[in-house]
Amino acid sequence: MASQVQDDSDDGMGDFMDKFRKQKYEGAFKEDNWEEEFDKVPMFMKTAPEEIDPKTHPDLACLQSIIHDDDRPPEEQARTFKDEGNDYFKEKKYKRAILSYTEGLKKKCCDSELNAILHTNRAAAHFHLGNMRSSFNDAVAAKKLKPDHLKALLRGAQCCMEFRNYGEALQWCEEGLRIQPADRKLLDLRASADKLKRAAERDARKAKAKGKKDRTKRGALLGAIRERGIKLLKPERSSKHSSDSEEEGRDRGTAAAMAGMNLDGLGSQEATGATVFLDEQGTLHWPVLFLYPEHRQTDFISAFSESACFLDHLTVMFGEELPSWDTDRKYHPQNLQLYFENFKTEELHQVDLKTPLLKILQHDRCFVKSGTPSIIILVKGSAFCKEFLSGKKVYRLK
Amino acid sequence: MMQTTMLSDEEAEEMLSFLTLEARADLKGQATEHILGITGTKDGCRYLRGRPDFLRALLTLTRDHSIAIVKDCYHALVNLSADETLHQALLKDANVLPTLFRNLQDPDYDFADRICTILSNLSRHKKTCKEVFRVLQEEEIGLAKIVEIFCSEGYNNKAPLHYLGPLLSNLTQLPEARQFILDKERCVVQRLLPYTQYGDSTVRRGGVVGTLRNCCFDYSHHEWLLSDAVDILPFLLLPLAGPEELTEEENEGLPVDLQYLPEDKKREEDPDIRKMLIETMLLLTATKAGRQILDKKNAYAIMREFHNWEREPPVVAACEKLVQVLIGDEPESGMENLLEVDIPEDVEVKLKDMDEKEQEQLEREKEELLKSESENKENESTPPDGLSS
Repeated sequence: MASQVQDDSDDGMGDFMDKFRKQKYEGAFKEDNWEEEFDKVPMFMKTAPEEIDPKTHPDLACLQSIIHDDDRPPEEQARTFKDEGNDYFKEKKYKRAILSYTEGLKKKCCDSELNAILHTNRAAAHFHLGNMRSSFNDAVAAKKLKPDHLKALLRGAQCCMEFRNYGEALQWCEEGLRIQPADRKLLDLRASADKLKRAAERDARKAKAKGKKDRTKRGALLGAIRERGIKLLKPERSSKHSSDSEEEGRDRGTAAAMAGMNLDGLGSQEATGATVFLDEQGTLHWPVLFLYPEHRQTDFISAFSESACFLDHLTVMFGEELPSWDTDRKYHPQNLQLYFENFKTEELHQVDLKTPLLKILQHDRCFVKSGTPSIIILVKGSAFCKEFLSGKKVYRLK
Repeated sequence: MMQTTMLSDEEAEEMLSFLTLEARADLKGQATEHILGITGTKDGCRYLRGRPDFLRALLTLTRDHSIAIVKDCYHALVNLSADETLHQALLKDANVLPTLFRNLQDPDYDFADRICTILSNLSRHKKTCKEVFRVLQEEEIGLAKIVEIFCSEGYNNKAPLHYLGPLLSNLTQLPEARQFILDKERCVVQRLLPYTQYGDSTVRRGGVVGTLRNCCFDYSHHEWLLSDAVDILPFLLLPLAGPEELTEEENEGLPVDLQYLPEDKKREEDPDIRKMLIETMLLLTATKAGRQILDKKNAYAIMREFHNWEREPPVVAACEKLVQVLIGDEPESGMENLLEVDIPEDVEVKLKDMDEKEQEQLEREKEELLKSESENKENESTPPDGLSS
């Protein structure tokens, strides 16, 4: 039996063993909270606490201080931080991983390979957090320290892809492939970068071609309008237009020769989106507004051919059925009188229903406002008509 | 200046003694110049074939401190390499290859371009080409390094190294070289493709197109070459495409690189290269899969416009052959791989006959073309690249 051991040793073992026998062990687990206490023993912990408080977890704090002992050489400390960071990384705790790697780099140890790895791993952590800029900077740093570090080259390429900088991505891949020509990841990334680069180049060409086409079309349109001697009314300067001044300047350049017309003159302020256009046969089609001041109504024809006349349209519009607002049932085409207004003078000019639109627009007092000619329609001899025309200068048809 | 006549044995011995690194500078210089003169004539080259000691001396003197002497030595070596009968002597007796490959690798080497020309000459004919490739792969820097150097812009800022193009083209006569270029596990042929558009050097462009054409002889690789993994077709069509505007529908059906080309797009200016590009595509139409891909990618639209533009009869003929395949009906079953079809003997004779007649016709047209050009223009022939003294 143990109690029979000879107590003649110097190491105090005997006394210790005696104490052990006589005194109750104070640090024993208690029945009611032994599980909690169990979890606090570093060896049996299932998860580490977020923060290690020496008061509540003295053992853990003790271990940590051994690990991060500042007396050890910097390489060792850096290595420990690297491992710590890697552990956090595996748990997807990227922010903590970054902190660990950063601490490792702060040690400024002389092992370039280790530092390159720290940068590369930090780059990976940043990448997973979406910090592409930081990730790229770390990849660059890693590459500087160790130009043949494949993981850094791959990461750098991946960052370039995120920036849509396909040319640079290609360069990173090709550097990597020089070292490891058969690396599948690099090969696939390179192929991807190449494809996207070429697609981007095509998109640029397409946009340029379209832009050119649009400008040519607009030039032709303005030319056609000018040829016909049709006058576009310049709109008043508003704050909206001044913000477009750059584009105006360019367009004005092409339109400068076109007697002071500019594209704003064509912008339709109606919420219809319709604009004048030139068809393949060289005929202009205008959006035209029909105004019925008597009933405060309007009609809109989005593509009125310049060779057509108002009678053509009115016959259809007021053909079989008269509009509901025409309560007196008097808007028959043969009863109608048409006028356009000279916006500057507020004078009215009567228009023949059978005259083609082109001729009307060419009238030297006719100005097209907002690219949309508008025509006033009255009923011949009606009371409203008389009242409307009174007090205004009216030029009638002969 | 000494006369460029053959040397007697005594003269040769004396000259040889001047062709050493330790010799007096002026004697060294004169001797080198003299040898250079000898290499300028066919007889001179033949004479030197029997004098490996002179060849070795030339090689040694490329290490000389005097740039003028090194220049003359390389000049001489270029001339010698242009003569096929000298090849064995240069390779075996003088053992030039290791030195050449080593210096080629040096990014600061002034005469790297000369080396490329020499290597290009040495690899022209299959027998020596085989040896060049063997030494390259087994003992020296390897084909991978050659491709890398070729594709590195500004590798050597004193030498553009365009003649690595013809070297690659020559090497790909050999199936073992093609195997390397067409390695699916690496990225080799893909790196060469953009050079079909390299404006600054016809030599480089021609070399790359020649390489691609050789690579298309093995139809087992066609599907891979035409797939996204390599995507060879746009690089063959792009030099043949012009600024003509195509409809939106036609554009959208083309490979991405050929869509919406700008109005200043220029076509390949060298007719031989144009012909090679078309021949490469013709090779790719040998299989049904290849024909289908070319059809799907609307190669016809590009070739149609090209046909309207091309003036050189041999190139027009090649274009018409290709267009015929593109718009023709699919051949009956059993004929799907045109390269493998057994042609019955009497038909084969007929075809040969037709080919000859066509050849004659082309020769006649060519003569007429040349006649109608300015009388002052000299008839330029393209011999192997040698520099006359």
